[in-house]
Amino acid sequence: MFSEIKNRFATDDVEVKRKGLYKVVVKHERLFALIVMLKEMYDYKTLNTITCTDWIEEGHFALTYIMTTLKRNETFMLQTMILREEAHTKSLSYLFKQAQIMERDLHEMYGIKFEGNENLKELSLENWVHTPPLRREFDTLEFVNNHLTFRDGRDDNIDTKAESKRLRAIKKAEKEAAKKAKESKKAEDVQ
Amino acid sequence: MKWSVDIQGTLSPLKILGAFFQKPNTIAYPTVKKATATGYRGFHTNLLTDCIGCANCQDVCMNNAIDMVKTDQEYNAKNASQCIPRIDYGRCCWCSLCTDVCPPDSLKLEDDYINVTKYASDFLYMPKNKE
Amino acid sequence: MSNKHITIFHGPQHPGITGNMSVELDLIGETIQKATTHVGYLHRGFEKLVERRTVIQAFTIVCRICVPEPDPNEANFAMAVEELAGLEVTPRAEYIRVMVLELSRLAAQFLWMAGQSGSIGLYAVGQWAIADRDLILDLFEELTGARVYHMYIYPGGVRRDLPEGFLGRVSTLLNYMKKRLKEYDDVFINNASFKNRAIGVGVISQEEAIANGYVGQVLRACGVEADVRKDAPYLVYESLDFKVPTQTAGDVYARALVRRAEMDQSVHILEQVVKMMPEGEVMIKMPTHRKFKLPKDDTWVKVESARGEFAYYMAGDGSEKIRRMQVRGPSLVHAYTLLESLLVGAELSDVALIMNSLGICPPEIER
Repeated sequence: MFSEIKNRFATDDVEVKRKGLYKVVVKHERLFALIVMLKEMYDYKTLNTITCTDWIEEGHFALTYIMTTLKRNETFMLQTMILREEAHTKSLSYLFKQAQIMERDLHEMYGIKFEGNENLKELSLENWVHTPPLRREFDTLEFVNNHLTFRDGRDDNIDTKAESKRLRAIKKAEKEAAKKAKESKKAEDVQ
Repeated sequence: MKWSVDIQGTLSPLKILGAFFQKPNTIAYPTVKKATATGYRGFHTNLLTDCIGCANCQDVCMNNAIDMVKTDQEYNAKNASQCIPRIDYGRCCWCSLCTDVCPPDSLKLEDDYINVTKYASDFLYMPKNKE
Repeated sequence: MSNKHITIFHGPQHPGITGNMSVELDLIGETIQKATTHVGYLHRGFEKLVERRTVIQAFTIVCRICVPEPDPNEANFAMAVEELAGLEVTPRAEYIRVMVLELSRLAAQFLWMAGQSGSIGLYAVGQWAIADRDLILDLFEELTGARVYHMYIYPGGVRRDLPEGFLGRVSTLLNYMKKRLKEYDDVFINNASFKNRAIGVGVISQEEAIANGYVGQVLRACGVEADVRKDAPYLVYESLDFKVPTQTAGDVYARALVRRAEMDQSVHILEQVVKMMPEGEVMIKMPTHRKFKLPKDDTWVKVESARGEFAYYMAGDGSEKIRRMQVRGPSLVHAYTLLESLLVGAELSDVALIMNSLGICPPEIER
């Protein structure tokens, strides 16, 4: 089974993550054929989830489709890369009914278009006009600073590193001053 | 829906009436108080004779709940920055990571957890100086 | 639309489930024509937040993903981090984890029982269940320092060792539970009013349940013996003796029977764990939080929660932060794919009953 997958679909070997968990990276255009093959020929009847990871440095999203066998002891992670810019892929909702809602979730969080999914309305965010929030370029800290206020009375926070440096410098200066005073006193005594 | 007589299913729930003769599970709260378990994660305490002002607690706090501040209290001579932590209980989630990373183990959580106040500014809490 | 139709919102505050979620119902008379689920009352952006924090800092947030049972989340998070970083946990920590997970399963089932009985008006049972759940929370308070959000199962082990005499108190509670659970049979499970309301309501077929990825009691009540603890054993479940209860009817009552039987199994597992608890360390040495890095790799871990398979996808990128963590609980699929189709044709009065039996937890849909 693994060699067949490798020869027909994959770019790399099938990786065995641990007992009963396999992962393979496939070309995007062969992904759906592989899903159908696993479902029809190898008993992978359940689609557990579709997940997406944003690799912004490399300019792509990694979509992972996770499928489980009828006996539920073997799980396959099928990973494929799609471009971040105008991300789109085909919908899987004609094969698995639950893919509809998973794709709707990903569409909202990453802005990926799933062609063939008829309901991609917003799921949990209401009237969201900014970047899709799980994309890496969406900066939550900036969003919070622009949209929310903070509790008053916390301005007296002190940077401890700078403060201990300052205190050390004062102490050192004091020590040196004392040393100098001692020396000058000694000099006076000698005179 | 089909109706059939289920005698056992009708009579057996009446056993719940037996609960009238049992001691109640509840307690009369304001007069009787339940003891808090030792090791409960309540408010912070900070033993000032041990605190070294290293701000490890501030660094690990993912909620930014901790400020390092100066007060007019007497500090440990080893306290390099002469600052002690103050906690914003509007942000704290009582995960106790700050007490885990405290090098001299001066910051701790006590079993007291009740703070009643009129003012939101009282959420800024200075840990009690005790062990 | 003709004036026969009424549209009402069931929720977001309602007796159906713990948490805020609403179902928009199109009715003719009392019969539901169409149901649409709406979420968005609880979105807190956890999956985004963990990407901004170091691994150890992210640990404190995962328990908040599901309120009724935080521990499967903690266990999943810890197991995923350990698998990516290649850490080995000590045997004692594994046994303690199993104990915490089973106690939390028992607590969650009590909370379900309170909700399920409340949804048909048997409030006394709800009071009992909440009181009995509190006894378990008392144990948690002693063990972890908190009653609900334990933050106890930590990457690398568990955070505290057992207090003195703790196992004895667990045994005492288990003996009480064994007697007490039988009383629930009398007042709730075998209650004629519950049977009449629940039998034949919300029926799910086996093929549909497997194909659409339903999990937990929904699947087991249609006769599929699916349990992560048996299928892909984690921690020490392989060495423990327990059964996976199943039913074949696939309705609300079958799911209730499965849950009730699982409570007995949890008690049985806990008894073994108390006997088998080994000695030793509970925590391995961990680097400080800014030095703890995950390699560029991904994994998929799952545990059996009280409501079914609960899984995490986690990817690291070589830095001290997690690149991606996706939560896959039972709720998303149950609340949309399943609930929307199951409610069509049901009566308005059965909505809360059906929702509760599916084990939907809205905080986990929105993460």
